[in-house]
Amino acid sequence: MAVRPYWKGYLKLSLVTCPVQMMPATSENEKVRFHTLNRQTQNRVVSHYVDSVTGKEVEEEDEVKGYQRGEDEYIILEDEELENVALDSTKTIDISTFTPRDTIEWIWLDTPYYLSPNDPVGQEAFSVIRDAMQSQDMVGISRLVITRRERAVMIEPRGKGIVLWTLRYGDEVRDEETYFEGIGDEKADSDMMPLIQQLIKKQTQDWTPKLVVDPVQDRLLDIINMKKKALKKPSKSTTKAPVSSPTPHNVVNIMDALRKSVAAESRSGK
Amino acid sequence: MVSPRANWKGFIKFGEVSCPVALYTAASSSERIAFNTLNRKTGNRVKREFVDSETGNPVERDDQVKGYEIDNGQYIVLEPDEVAAAVPESNKTLNIEAYIPCSQIDTTYFDKPYYLAPDKMGSDAFVLLRDGMKNEKVAAIARTVLFRRMRTLLIRPHGKGLIANTLNFDYEVRSSAKAFEDMPDLKIEGEMLELAEHIIGTKKGSFDASTFDDRYEAAVAELVKAKIEGRSLPKRKAPVASKPSDLLQALRESAGLGAKEAQPKRTAANVNKGAVRQKAAKPVAKPKAAAATRRAG
Repeated sequence: MAVRPYWKGYLKLSLVTCPVQMMPATSENEKVRFHTLNRQTQNRVVSHYVDSVTGKEVEEEDEVKGYQRGEDEYIILEDEELENVALDSTKTIDISTFTPRDTIEWIWLDTPYYLSPNDPVGQEAFSVIRDAMQSQDMVGISRLVITRRERAVMIEPRGKGIVLWTLRYGDEVRDEETYFEGIGDEKADSDMMPLIQQLIKKQTQDWTPKLVVDPVQDRLLDIINMKKKALKKPSKSTTKAPVSSPTPHNVVNIMDALRKSVAAESRSGK
Repeated sequence: MVSPRANWKGFIKFGEVSCPVALYTAASSSERIAFNTLNRKTGNRVKREFVDSETGNPVERDDQVKGYEIDNGQYIVLEPDEVAAAVPESNKTLNIEAYIPCSQIDTTYFDKPYYLAPDKMGSDAFVLLRDGMKNEKVAAIARTVLFRRMRTLLIRPHGKGLIANTLNFDYEVRSSAKAFEDMPDLKIEGEMLELAEHIIGTKKGSFDASTFDDRYEAAVAELVKAKIEGRSLPKRKAPVASKPSDLLQALRESAGLGAKEAQPKRTAANVNKGAVRQKAAKPVAKPKAAAATRRAG
């Protein structure tokens, strides 16, 4: 299953360099995909580019990036020229620092990629870097130019490969104080702690991707299938799915509610 | 002080206990350098047009509708209200369905983080849930309709509050096992591993993401300046991969050993040595005493 690499370059630790490739860890491929249609004709709608002055269609090979200098003044930049921008971080993930895995808070994690060797020549070097991070429980920090920005990135071992995370910039993460200042410093009621911990224990389970299924996508596919059948048979009206709406109630006595919760969990035999 | 605007208000419910909460965007994306697309032939800007693939006529936004391809060229049309009807009505409740040990959380599912804080009155229940999860070292899974989409959220203690992370759906995350399946299963042991561990030790530091600087825009401006002045930027030297046969030596030299070895051969691996020395760029990490700590684990 060959996926075209999203990025190719080098992973570097001091004097050790190995060729690597990268692909996004997330993908839209399995999502129900819609095309845009023209309601009037039922034909596909396609987008193309036209010259803003002449109005004529512009061929894809004539589309080029422009860097704006003045109101109507642009400098054309070819992709090859941009490749040559004077930063080593366009092609090389040079690991500058290692830090214990748990010192990078999750809130800084932005986008994950899978990093793997791009050539048999680098497999051993790649594995050395990966296994040493693993045995030390460390993650590596580097710089990388990706989608026209230089990002701080974190690399961590994952199975046979490495997950590379772009990290958010300082001004992208909002100060939690603003949101949490009203909470106060007191800890939870110690009488209730055994009960809540009991409730949590009863409902604790192993992680499984089943927790992140998408019921809406399934329902859309159902609607599509119904319509497909309706193409052959006389149409049946689509019914809106019943809504399960447990009305949240404000519980005055948390202790009573907790006891009820634990009892309910025990009855369900979990 | 103006209190921040909530992105969502509702309830969090665990067992029979519920309390009013609000969600606030915790991270936003800042802007990147913007290029315009030009027509190379005329130098003019281009603009996007939506046209009918058969007639070539422009299609107004109101006439654009979603179609699902069933057979070649045949489509099922879904009107916006039909798509909207597939999403259940919001019950405005983050109903905790399960707790997951923090050690099992797969971060590649993370989408966007939100600060989760009590809304208005009484934060006793909120604080109880927060500290209970902290003590049990777990995060909670809840599902609700958020911004007209059904979302699964992972909720975990963070400082005095909670963070709720929207999660990607199962079909949106590629399997890492599959992504790495073509790799041979090399296990590194012995001297190589020890040397690499030693190198990691010498580069050990802390990292403060908030102080990182993006040098890309300045580098592009430099490129543009050079182009206007008719200069071309010096071609960057392409990195050279270490040869497997030189790997051990490269590791020894990186670790500061083997420097005294007879004569330093100019191998593919140490060609890069010069590049390391002359690297003038600011190091990524600032040796800062207080590093942020993840509080969830």
